[in-house]
Amino acid sequence: MLSKKVIFTFSPQNVERPVTYQLIRKYDLWINILQAKFKPSLGGKLVLELKGENNQIEEGLNFVRQMGVGVEFLEQEVLWDEEKCIDCGACVSICPTGVLSLDKETFKLKFDYEKCIVCGNCVEACPLQAIKVTF
Amino acid sequence: MAIKRTYEEINKRIKKGKAVIATAEEIIPIVEEKGIERAAKEIDVVTTGTFGPMCSSGAIINFGHSDPPIRMQKAWLNDVEAYAGLAAVDVYLGATQLSESQGMEYGGAHVIEDLISGKKIKLKAISRGTDCYPRREIESYITKESINQAILFNPRNAYQNYNVAVNTSDKKIYTYMGILLPNMGNANYCTSGQLSPLLNDPQFRTIGIGTRIFLGGTQGYIAWEGTQFYPQVLKGEPNKTVNKGGTLAVIGDLKEMSTDYIRAATFKGYGVTLVEGIGIPIPILNSEIMKSVSAKDEDIWTDVIDYSFPHLKKPSLGRVNYRQLREGKITIQRKDVPASPLSSYAKAREIAQKLKDKILRGEFLLQEPIQKFPKQNKFKPLLEIR
Repeated sequence: MLSKKVIFTFSPQNVERPVTYQLIRKYDLWINILQAKFKPSLGGKLVLELKGENNQIEEGLNFVRQMGVGVEFLEQEVLWDEEKCIDCGACVSICPTGVLSLDKETFKLKFDYEKCIVCGNCVEACPLQAIKVTF
Repeated sequence: MAIKRTYEEINKRIKKGKAVIATAEEIIPIVEEKGIERAAKEIDVVTTGTFGPMCSSGAIINFGHSDPPIRMQKAWLNDVEAYAGLAAVDVYLGATQLSESQGMEYGGAHVIEDLISGKKIKLKAISRGTDCYPRREIESYITKESINQAILFNPRNAYQNYNVAVNTSDKKIYTYMGILLPNMGNANYCTSGQLSPLLNDPQFRTIGIGTRIFLGGTQGYIAWEGTQFYPQVLKGEPNKTVNKGGTLAVIGDLKEMSTDYIRAATFKGYGVTLVEGIGIPIPILNSEIMKSVSAKDEDIWTDVIDYSFPHLKKPSLGRVNYRQLREGKITIQRKDVPASPLSSYAKAREIAQKLKDKILRGEFLLQEPIQKFPKQNKFKPLLEIR
C-alpha cells in the first residue's frame, strides 16, 4: 500500500462537495485528516494522508481534480531552504512528529517529509526563516 | 618532564609550517589515547568554535562627509535607527534595533548582513543644523565600499555557557531562547559545549584582552571582557559545577566578514538578533591547559531554568550535561523532555576546522593577551531607587 500526503484547495463553488466520502466509497482509500480549515463563503484547505494502491490514489485524485478542487502534494508546499538553514536545530524539539532531526554524525538538519503533518511549528521556530509553508 | 611552551615558540612553528593543531573535538580521543602529558607534548594549539545568536552586537559606521556637511543627530539605515549621538557622521547600529516600517521582520542585524553581502543600504539622517554643519537632512544610499569604516564591535558575545530553557506554565511562550512549549514540552539550549571557546579555557589562562580570534569569517580581536562578565564557578550539586558567566567584547572589520559566518535572525515574538561565528585558538602552553581543552560534553554541566517565571531570578529545575542535551532528550522532574540547540554545532565544528586550517597554512598567528581578565567580578542587579 502506498501513502501520499496531499493538500486539497476548495473554492466557494465546490466547498460543499463530499470529497472525502467519495474517496473512501468509490476509490477504497484510507483517509487520515491532518488539517482542515474552512470558511463556507471563502473555500478552504484540507490536508490529508491517503493510503491505498497506486492506481486507486491516482484515480481518486483525478476525480478530485475533476470536481474543480486543487490538488497539491505536501512536499511541494513545505519548503526548506537549505541555503538559508544554518543547521542550528531550533526546529527540532518543537516538531510533534519527529520530521526534523540533527544527524548524529554531521549535526546537519534532516527533513523527513513523510512524517510532516503541516502543523507549522517549525515555520515559527526557525530564526532564519528558512522553512515556509506555501498554503 | 612537564611541557612548557611560549607564544613565540608556537608562532615560530606556525611560520615554519610545523605546528600541530587539533580542534577541541579532535583532541578528546587524542587525550584519551595518549594521556594529557603526551598530548600536551605533541599538540601546539587547539581550536574552538561557536555559531549562535548573540544579541549584544552592533557596528560602528563612518559614512564620510557630504557637501554641504551634516552633523547627524538621528540616522536610519533601511529604516532601522542607528545611534548618532557621536561625532558628525559616526553611528552605532545595534543588532537588535527593529525597522520602523517592517517591525520584527527586519532589524539592525539584517542591515549588517546586507552590508556584508554588498547590498545598497538606504541612509536617512536629520539634524538641527549648525554654523559648521549647516545641512539639516540627507537621504542617500551607501554600500560597504562607499563608507569609510564598518567595524563590528560587540559588547557581549561568546557566552561561556548558558541555561537550558523550559516552560512549566500551561501557555506557549516566545523567548530569546526560542519557542517554549507548555508543560515542559521542549527544552532549548544554546552552546557548542565541548567546542565552545570559553569552556575550553574556563580559567582564562590564554584568553584575554588582545587575543586574536576568528570573527565572522575574518580575523578579529578581543577588545575587553564582555559586559556582565562573571568568571566564577557556580557551585551546587557536587561533580556538576557550572562555568557560566564568561563573556567577551570583540571587535573586527565588518567589511572583511562573510555571511557564511555572520547572519541575521528573528526569534518570533522576541525580536531580531545577530548569529555569529567565533573561533578562538588555545595555545597549549602547559599540560593544565591541555587538561582544560580536553573537556568533553559529559563533563560540562548547565542549569535547566524555568522561563515561564517572569522575574529576574528564575527557578532552576536541576542540572544536565551536554552529552544528554546533544542526544536530544533530557529528564527533568522524571519527565522526558525533547531538547534541541539554538546554536549550530555543525557550524561551530566548521569554524574550529577553518581556524585550524588557517593556522596550518600560516595565515593566522597567535597573540598573547596584553592584559588578563579579572579573576572575580560582581553581577549586579538594577535596583529601582526612588
